[in-house]
Amino acid sequence: MFYVFVFIWAFAMLAGITMVWLLAWAIRNGEFTNLRQGARSIFDDLEPEGVVTDYFPGEAPLMKQLERRR
Amino acid sequence: MIAEVGVNPEVEVVSRIEVDRSAEWVVTIYWASSIIWLLIASIAGLISSIKLHSPDFLGSYEWLTFGRIRPVHWDTAIYGFGGTAASGTLLWLQARLCQTRIPFAPLLIAGGVIFNLGVLLGAIGVLSGHSTGVEALEFPLWSMPLLVIPYVFIVIANFKMYFTRRSTHTYVSQWYLMAVTIWFPILILAAEACTNLGAVDGVAQAVANWWYGHNVVGLFATPTAVAAAYYLIPKVIGKPIHSYHLSLLGFWSNAIFYNWAGTHHLTGGPLPAWTITVGVVGSMMMFIPVITIGINHHMTMVGSFHHLKTSPTLRFAVMGSMIYTLASFQGSLESLRSHQEITHFTHYTIGHVHFGMYGFFAPLMFAMMYYAMPRLTGNEWSSARLIRIHFWCTLLGTLLYASAMCYAGIRQGFMMNDPTIPFLNIVSFTKPFLMLRTLAGLILLSGTIAFTINFWRIVQPHKLRFVTPTLLNTKRDYRILVEKEKELGT
Repeated sequence: MFYVFVFIWAFAMLAGITMVWLLAWAIRNGEFTNLRQGARSIFDDLEPEGVVTDYFPGEAPLMKQLERRR
Repeated sequence: MIAEVGVNPEVEVVSRIEVDRSAEWVVTIYWASSIIWLLIASIAGLISSIKLHSPDFLGSYEWLTFGRIRPVHWDTAIYGFGGTAASGTLLWLQARLCQTRIPFAPLLIAGGVIFNLGVLLGAIGVLSGHSTGVEALEFPLWSMPLLVIPYVFIVIANFKMYFTRRSTHTYVSQWYLMAVTIWFPILILAAEACTNLGAVDGVAQAVANWWYGHNVVGLFATPTAVAAAYYLIPKVIGKPIHSYHLSLLGFWSNAIFYNWAGTHHLTGGPLPAWTITVGVVGSMMMFIPVITIGINHHMTMVGSFHHLKTSPTLRFAVMGSMIYTLASFQGSLESLRSHQEITHFTHYTIGHVHFGMYGFFAPLMFAMMYYAMPRLTGNEWSSARLIRIHFWCTLLGTLLYASAMCYAGIRQGFMMNDPTIPFLNIVSFTKPFLMLRTLAGLILLSGTIAFTINFWRIVQPHKLRFVTPTLLNTKRDYRILVEKEKELGT
């Protein structure tokens, strides 16, 4: 059982240290700067900002959207 | 082109369609198995529920007794449905956000098969009387490696995608997904060591058990579902999330506080008072991430609620997000000793658990599948009616379940605190509510069946593969697009 305790504590310490290191890394790496642009990083040409990308089947105003984009 | 965030120029440009194609088999296998397990878990739950008001139901089969079928319900729901749905979500979302193909596809598929085998053997083990008796970890110990080893493959694939990503920015959903892959292995290994491997005994084992029982929801299911909401809501309505600052505050406060909340399950138990107090404080501090996440999800939707009429993904995502706020508030308040004096050991807790799992986690997994499957398979969902049936069954079934159980639980709690009321009177009082619970289970199962039919149809091979599915709804639309493309020479 001693080894199980050592394992648990070592693992817990490793997890804690990893989270602190990740936070420090994120700050150094500029992850918390320019957040406004970060929020837009999920959009691309095929699924752009300002365009709704999900409809019930058969109910999308498809061609209007495509034409507007072109 | 990706919005103005940094990109790593050394990483190959992978189009969104290529990312989706690389994920097609892997993610579909995980999600298809999740639906099968959801059906099994729902049937097992329904049998358990019926037995509570009609104890003789299937009473002559020892493998279907309440003590066996109920753990099968919970474990197949959390590992079979939750594990595979969350893993598929994690892989697809990470691939998209990293703009990279899913690596080690054969290994991940093999992992999915092994994981399913593990859940199957675990469930058979419990049904045949080999349950460990530790809640949420009832599967026999010999089946657990089959659940843990495949997760190692997912962790490796997740880190590989992250460290070879093109976009240098870490989107808020990625924070949650990366954290899940660190937290979950620690959780399950430490919990198994402290319970079924016997590193600790007695009360300390109960503490470890409920540390795990609470965190498997909060540090595995919740982060994955929140990551899905942070991706889907802005993506569907085409609007960035309301406050990116708040989203990061929500993540880090969740990471700091959730881990401490588990011991509130043991209020009134033979533990040092400070152990329970730690759990209560952790639960109350959870108001911080819950409020930040709630503000973000709801404020992002302001001005876009009309899209709920037209988008199945958004319906499920918004339902999940709203119930996340409600269920989390309920959960935090439930941890208070004054609250537990009434609701502890009553049906109230069961109502809360189902409100969270079927009102928050499951709808967000459904939302993810509704959004991604057309893009993964190149096929469209076959029936809008089946989607609507699925949605309304999920919403109404969850509300009926939670309201019946919570109301019954509060009344049950007050009655149990009154020594003049005979216990059997209290049991009789709860019986109509237990029947309502069975009805709610039937409604939820009906929705799952509708979803299964739609899912089965979308994975069938079709001759026509759409380039941008869900925006293209019929073959006619597709032909028009092809003609337009030719005209424009693109």
